[in-house]
Amino acid sequence: MGANFEMASKAGTRNAVTSNEDSFEALFSAEYGRVAGIANRVLADPHEAEDVAQEVFIDFNRLHSASAPYAAAWLYRAAAHKALNRVRGRRRREKRELSQAMDEGARTMDPQHMLEVSEDRRHVRQALARLAPKPATVLVLRASGLSYAEVAQALGVGIGQIGTLLRRAEAALRKEVIRGTSL
Amino acid sequence: MAHLSDGTLRRKVDDADSLTVSENRHYSACADCQSRYTTLADDARAVAGALAVPDLKVDVASAFSRVRSAPAAQPRFGIRLPIVRPASRPVMGVLAASFVVLALVVTAVAAGGLFFQPKTVQVVPVSVADLQSLNGLGDFGTLTWTTQPAPQLVTSAAEAASVSGLQVPVVTLPSTVSHKVTYAAMPAAVGVFTFDAAKAAATAAKAGKTLPAMPAGMDGSKLTVTVGPAVVEIFGNLNIGAGNGTGTTTAATPDPSQLALPQLVVGESSAPVVTSSGVTTQQLENYLLSLPGVSANLAAAIRAVNDPSTTLPIPIPIEYATSSSVTVQGVGGVAVGDNTGLGAGVIWIKDSTVYGVAGTLKQDVILDIANGLK
Repeated sequence: MGANFEMASKAGTRNAVTSNEDSFEALFSAEYGRVAGIANRVLADPHEAEDVAQEVFIDFNRLHSASAPYAAAWLYRAAAHKALNRVRGRRRREKRELSQAMDEGARTMDPQHMLEVSEDRRHVRQALARLAPKPATVLVLRASGLSYAEVAQALGVGIGQIGTLLRRAEAALRKEVIRGTSL
Repeated sequence: MAHLSDGTLRRKVDDADSLTVSENRHYSACADCQSRYTTLADDARAVAGALAVPDLKVDVASAFSRVRSAPAAQPRFGIRLPIVRPASRPVMGVLAASFVVLALVVTAVAAGGLFFQPKTVQVVPVSVADLQSLNGLGDFGTLTWTTQPAPQLVTSAAEAASVSGLQVPVVTLPSTVSHKVTYAAMPAAVGVFTFDAAKAAATAAKAGKTLPAMPAGMDGSKLTVTVGPAVVEIFGNLNIGAGNGTGTTTAATPDPSQLALPQLVVGESSAPVVTSSGVTTQQLENYLLSLPGVSANLAAAIRAVNDPSTTLPIPIPIEYATSSSVTVQGVGGVAVGDNTGLGAGVIWIKDSTVYGVAGTLKQDVILDIANGLK
């Protein structure tokens, strides 16, 4: 192998790296808004949603090629999962804080009032996070404006299943919200 | 005609024209379907309302610069290992050092345009001291990838097969092993390692060592290494540390910092192929084995490899693992078990393909799984 080969291989490597970086930037520009939107749909918190979206892209870039055909589907699904995990973590934290507050405040505050304060408008998100991952994800992705085909691709299921999955997920969420409210 | 399914009716909520002519005819005449439609359309509207959020305004450019400036785990040798987290430095150290031992043996047999394609495996016993004292491969030259290794997590066996071009082994699992499987796949990668005398001397000088002079012709000589393609099946719930489980395939799920150890890993890869130019076998072998980091014991162990041009050496740290020769799928292989009894593995080569099975299982269970691969 001579100098020509070496030059060609170095140039090839440089081109490959540059092309990969370009692909990642293009993917980011094309999908960031949508990925952040999916996270926001779950979290109802723009700042936290952007944190999640950026983590998702960092993870993706660490593990996958930006030109992978499944890139967008991966990002959508990861955004939903990561955001749902945040809500679950948030719920555990709130439960812990509530329990501490109730211990401390039992002498001075009405526990029933404490409970009512904790069951604020976020109980829908908490109910969503209590669903199994697949129904929760199908709801979030569809509510975020993904088409049936895009949702199917993100979940790795056939497009014909989406109607059924959506119907079951919506029924389950309504039930879970009612259950959560009556706790 | 049977009643319309919930899925069909739900789709109609989003797309009023989604029904076929016959479905439409049934729907127009069926009070039951119309009533169910009303209920589920009501649910759909309620859920859409509950999940509504104000539009999100994002600044894509500043978000991109934040992502770009986030510290990323830098892979060694340019290889991205999706299931080895950056925190696993000792593991990475052993892997890197093992790679060097492998490179030493490979270079020793592949010089002068010789062809290296292993057909069998053999243990090279090494001590942790051997591994720690070895210089990194990068100290002796430059590795550039003409085709970057791009291992990736994929969503299914079919996708793993499509990425790698290999048939994914069918594994018969014992009842104690989780059926939750994650697939990883990698297309073939080609790297060219170029020996660089000046770089080797400078690195050694920085560490206060003096290297033997490179033999004439070695400076600038190249090894072309082809690794992969490969597929890996990882069984077990890798997301134990990441909260709730997330489905059977986990392409979108794993947070690399939260992954748990898999129960079982089954891998298949085309045997590596190495060609070399610019220096003779004997010169390379003498030089590499005389380097300050290579102990006499290690050099002797490497020289003891039976037929180096067709043998894939498996470096085994003797303090931590025991190894034995076994017959797997009718060919010779190496079984490795660590002395803690917590894990075992087996590696063999058949039809120019390297197979490996490892996990937190007893060695006889691992061997049964290996023999049962199809």
